[in-house]
Amino acid sequence: MSTFAIQTRLARLPGWTVLALWSAAVLLPLYILVVSCFKTTAEIYENRLGLPQSWSFDNFANAWTRADLGQNFINSLIVTGGAVVLTIVVSALAAYPLSRYKLGWNGIMLGLFLSGIMLPIRLASVELFTLMRNLDLLDSLTGLILVYSAIRIPFAVFIFANFMRVLPSELDEAARMDGAGETRILFQIILPMVKPAVSIVAIFTAIAVWNDFFFPLIFIFDDRYKTVPLAISVFVGQFRTDWGLVFASLAISMAPILIMYCLLARQIREGVGAGGGMK
Amino acid sequence: MTQHRHKSSMKRTQQRMAVLFVLPALAIYGLFVLYPLAMSLWGSFFTWKGLRMLDFAGLSNFARLFVFPSSARLTGALWHNVIWFFGIMVFQNGVGLLFAWLLFLRDQGKGRSGAAFFQSLFFFPAVLSPVIVGALWRLLLAPGGVVGWALNGLGLHEGSLTVLGNSQTALMMLIAVDAWNWMGLPVLIYTAGLRQISGQIFEAAKLDGAGSGRMLVSVALPLLMPAIGTLTTLSFINTFNQFDIVYVMQGVQGNPSYSTDTLVTYFYRLAFGAEGAVGITDIGLALALGTMLFLILSIGTLLMLRFFDRRTVQL
Repeated sequence: MSTFAIQTRLARLPGWTVLALWSAAVLLPLYILVVSCFKTTAEIYENRLGLPQSWSFDNFANAWTRADLGQNFINSLIVTGGAVVLTIVVSALAAYPLSRYKLGWNGIMLGLFLSGIMLPIRLASVELFTLMRNLDLLDSLTGLILVYSAIRIPFAVFIFANFMRVLPSELDEAARMDGAGETRILFQIILPMVKPAVSIVAIFTAIAVWNDFFFPLIFIFDDRYKTVPLAISVFVGQFRTDWGLVFASLAISMAPILIMYCLLARQIREGVGAGGGMK
Repeated sequence: MTQHRHKSSMKRTQQRMAVLFVLPALAIYGLFVLYPLAMSLWGSFFTWKGLRMLDFAGLSNFARLFVFPSSARLTGALWHNVIWFFGIMVFQNGVGLLFAWLLFLRDQGKGRSGAAFFQSLFFFPAVLSPVIVGALWRLLLAPGGVVGWALNGLGLHEGSLTVLGNSQTALMMLIAVDAWNWMGLPVLIYTAGLRQISGQIFEAAKLDGAGSGRMLVSVALPLLMPAIGTLTTLSFINTFNQFDIVYVMQGVQGNPSYSTDTLVTYFYRLAFGAEGAVGITDIGLALALGTMLFLILSIGTLLMLRFFDRRTVQL
């Protein structure tokens, strides 16, 4: 072993501890969250870090029914699913001609969409509120789906256009010779070729929509239409003394994202590099 | 001749198809993003009664923004956003660079296997909603929460922990929670940047006797300018849009006594009626604040992009 190798091995030692410390900083709060879900509030105070005495699902049941998180959960699923599908369909439709036809106005239109990636849309919430009220879209999951799609379209068009632009032009030309219509070319030939783009758009739209709290806060008043993050923000105050229930509702609300993250960690890591399109 | 005619008719079909294809996305994006944003900017020059736009008022809403009592809220919130930005630059993007560098050093020589695990672990909080993260830390940091219990047990703190109720420490706590939330982002972006740097450059520096700290500062840092630029710009935008963590952990007033108030929480109170008497809105003031924030964000972002573009080292 050369002295150089020994040196780097020594240099690695404190590095390891730093990385281990931050890993603990990430995992400990999540560990406490998980074990607290199964404890009563009294037990949370007595037994801080240990495993629960019994693995009771009471807190989950209470959160799901008494606090009605079940309904919120279904609402969030509908809104997230709707926004993902709508965003993908309309953005793919728009990106296809803008990236593959010679129109003369591709650049301007793409620029108009791209400018939306950075726009601080929250600042438009007063006018957006008036608009939603006039369209009768307050207290409506459809309203949320439309707003979220509108916000995510710029990023989606950007990603789709970048992926579609580099496909060989023979692809659609050959299909066109065979008499395929443009819609069929897009959905049966082009879109399957840009699957990575579809998954990037789907993943990041789903995360952003599932997690958002601001728009339900201003557009949803009826408990029946509240989404999970909005409900959680209420629980934290409302069930202040029932810690077990709040911990359980936090666990329920992060479960879908956690499952998705475990399955798709690699795509997510690479997607962040491709667009930084979070938030 | 027929060839030519065929081509031009195809061009026309393409134009027609293109319009049809772009229209749905443009309609949704235009109606729910561009139109309300444009109307908000325009509306900031008018007087308002409730949600009704009345008369043209020039810059009087903006003038009102800088007069007491609004001036106190405005400067407070702006100051907190600025502190938040620098806090994130140091504790999230600075520490994140250190983590990325350690991961990079670990993987040098070996196959690059270990880094992916840490990257995924560190990034995990970033896929959670800031509402969940804020609620979780609110429980952990509460008086009687586990953090206070642990500090007591270690003899580092006496009595119940009141960091969230203390106006001296509350803002720092929120910044720390935000950094915990997003630490994985700089780690991912910096490791990606470091891997793009040719290994020969580091080899050459090693031969010149540079240690790993020296190598980070004089070799890697200048070459990481695009990554630093991306992160600085993203952090700037996110910080000046900060709302969720404050709302969940400290309420929309930015408690205690406005010490964690931000520009967007102040905007929300003005627009949706939680400033002063509850239920009373001041749309004119809210829109003026929105326009100001819009200008801060766009000008700031453009300046940053330009600044980092100039400093990008071409190899």
